[in-house]
Amino acid sequence: MNMTTRPVYILGGYQTDFARNWTKEGKHISAMIREAVAGGLLATGVDPKEIDVGHVGNFAAELYAMQGHLGAFLVDVDPAFSGLPTGRHEAACASGSIALLAASAEIEAGRYDCALVVGVEQMKTVSPAEGGDFLGTAAWYEREAKGVEFPFPKLFGRLGDEYDRRFGLKDEHLGRISAINYDNARKNPKAQTRTWYMSDEHACKADSYNAVIGGRIKVTDCSQVTDGAVAVLLASEAFAKKWAERRGAQLGRVPRIKGWGHRTAPLTFDDKVAESKNQPYVLPHTRRAITDAYRRASLADCWGLDGIETHDCFTTSEYMAIDHFGLTAPGESWKAVEEGVIALDGKLPINPSGGLIGCGHPVGATGVRQMLDAYLQTTGQAGAYQVEGAKTFATLNIGGSGTTSCVFIVGV
Amino acid sequence: MARQIRKVVVLGANGAMGAGSGEVFAAAGIETTFLARSKDKALQGQRRAEKLAKSTALSRFIRVGSYDADLARAVAEADLVFEAVSEDLALKRVYFEQIDKHRQKDAIVATVSSGLSIAAMAATGGTSFGRHFLGIHFFNPPNVIVGCELIPHAGTDPLVVTEVDDLLRNRLGRELVRTSDTPAFCGNRVGFKVLNECAQLAETHGAAYIDALVGPHTGRAMAPLATIDFVGWDVHAAIVDNVYANTRDEAHDAFHMPDAMRAKMAAGCLGDKTPDKGGFFKKGDPRGGELPEVARKMKELHRVGRYAQAFDVFAEASGADAELMRRVILGYISYGLNRVGEVVEKVADVDRIMGFGFNWAPPGVLVDLIGARRCVALLEAARLPVPRAVVAAAERNQRLFDAAHVDIGRFFHGAQ
Repeated sequence: MNMTTRPVYILGGYQTDFARNWTKEGKHISAMIREAVAGGLLATGVDPKEIDVGHVGNFAAELYAMQGHLGAFLVDVDPAFSGLPTGRHEAACASGSIALLAASAEIEAGRYDCALVVGVEQMKTVSPAEGGDFLGTAAWYEREAKGVEFPFPKLFGRLGDEYDRRFGLKDEHLGRISAINYDNARKNPKAQTRTWYMSDEHACKADSYNAVIGGRIKVTDCSQVTDGAVAVLLASEAFAKKWAERRGAQLGRVPRIKGWGHRTAPLTFDDKVAESKNQPYVLPHTRRAITDAYRRASLADCWGLDGIETHDCFTTSEYMAIDHFGLTAPGESWKAVEEGVIALDGKLPINPSGGLIGCGHPVGATGVRQMLDAYLQTTGQAGAYQVEGAKTFATLNIGGSGTTSCVFIVGV
Repeated sequence: MARQIRKVVVLGANGAMGAGSGEVFAAAGIETTFLARSKDKALQGQRRAEKLAKSTALSRFIRVGSYDADLARAVAEADLVFEAVSEDLALKRVYFEQIDKHRQKDAIVATVSSGLSIAAMAATGGTSFGRHFLGIHFFNPPNVIVGCELIPHAGTDPLVVTEVDDLLRNRLGRELVRTSDTPAFCGNRVGFKVLNECAQLAETHGAAYIDALVGPHTGRAMAPLATIDFVGWDVHAAIVDNVYANTRDEAHDAFHMPDAMRAKMAAGCLGDKTPDKGGFFKKGDPRGGELPEVARKMKELHRVGRYAQAFDVFAEASGADAELMRRVILGYISYGLNRVGEVVEKVADVDRIMGFGFNWAPPGVLVDLIGARRCVALLEAARLPVPRAVVAAAERNQRLFDAAHVDIGRFFHGAQ
């Protein structure tokens, strides 16, 4: 809230290939953590001995992998981590961002100088139906998910319905959002769907290859079941300065967290809609998380950003993000879609990585993946999906049906 | 000025490679004509492509036709004619003659052949045909497996090579490797050497034991003999016989198909495609057998992501099991990396085609995990030729595998 907090720098990290199926590979969730951390250390050149604290974001390893206490698995990665303070954070699909918030708060407070943040989810251990039921625990399970097949597509279908009721919504705009994400994913060597076929026509067509999952949500409107782990290293100014010096870089070129927002709405979708009745934004708490972050980053509006990595668990959630970030007036997200604003070469690209629909959505890893992509973009290391000259990027990570909203503004 | 490839014709579009390749072209938004003996067969190819793409919208870019009714017109309009008929030189030549008769003078002609001589096929037509002819070797299924070999012959126009290179890399998203026009090119030459060597070893040690010993923990999704059953013994025989007849290298004997296997094949045993007779295994057979101790230890370490430690076990374990495992895997490293300079230009080429085409741990990844210095010592102890690249990596203490975006862990399978 105040301007005197210490800055938090991002040193880089590592994302596992989201196309992998770790169950088929015969791997335990600890292998995912190990690969992400080892990759992160290699990418940043940070010695394990330099890390002061570890945070793990994960949604439901107890259900998917019969394993809790994930922070402790960091200790298994390197002998130097023996004794490392660790913990695990959960806020459904926003778990990764909560881990980042905790780590950054500790650095802001001056408690530690270098934090390792890992997001991880192994989801391909069970059938899609069983996994869908597990995901239902991110809603109010007894009221919204118990006995419902694939509850979340239905909840986010209702988000689309609410837009339709208030402002009107055409499915062709949702189809375009899906096709853009798949197009971008094709440029991302870590994206789950990088070899999958997609077109506007396919995304708009409901047939045996593109079944309706619930309400207006078809397969192409959904992020897929993904296995993945991501590690990111955060550091204090003193640490980042030394780190940059030894790499022959300037501190000014190291991205930092310029602003953040974190809000929680009522858990059930009905309560959210009731609360936002007669308000301009369908999810006002998500809007507040975004404006909190703008204010903390001293940004007047979204046009100070060069790109956004948003939470498109479904096309409707990206549709919502467009007006909530302020690219259009409330209810007019379709304009940004039609005008190409959100395309990779548009005025404000959304999800150059492919987002959750294209890159993949290993639930607890997503927030950390978004942070890593913001880092890659603002350091010019995003390869074929680089937004040219990007200096400032935003992330929006959502848990539940718009329940927990976390936003970061990252920039150099 | 690169030719913009807007229209492609696929011959043999009803087969697995024809339909799969057709899917890749159509998915890139290129108008693709699927040709087969009859329009119905071409339609079957179209349905196959839709199934691969999981989309009927793909068909916006697909036309279908038969050779008799549509080849002349379709080929006359094509920028690229892609031949995917059976792996039979005489049959291919019949189609090449027709293609040469109808194609535009600057239209490119490619074959998906997995190892026949590109120069021999190019010689079917006139000089212009030869200049516009090359090999594009996709791996099955091409919509998923992005590894791809581009094989010009000595007479291919370099501009044609550049055009096709651009198409494959930038529009079709291929991990592309250029190889010389040598038997089986790179991927199949290196891969089938290992597979056939395992078939030879199975004669003495049994198929279940060999698949358990050099199974997924040594860097492959599928164990070697199960792989031969999967691709078909006839396909296996065609590839190893071609290499055996037309090359003379340090592993020549490894390409000799075991006599007993050939006799079984003559009796109709072709692997998974003849389920009643089977191959090394029959459907439903217990696979893998009891795991040798060294394999069990490696799998346990892979399970928790300790890949380097698994290869410490690989390098240091004693006993007959470990020695046999090392013989096969070190043989793969040695043979694969020794093709640099002969079949491909760089270590990265072998690594890419084995990683992205065969879905096997690239030799460079294995060298890095074993450690280049230790690898040299192990190769010498096994009396295998030590590739220059491994010596250089050992001397400079460098890693061989250079693709930072690839998770090397994905190649190694742990205990289920």
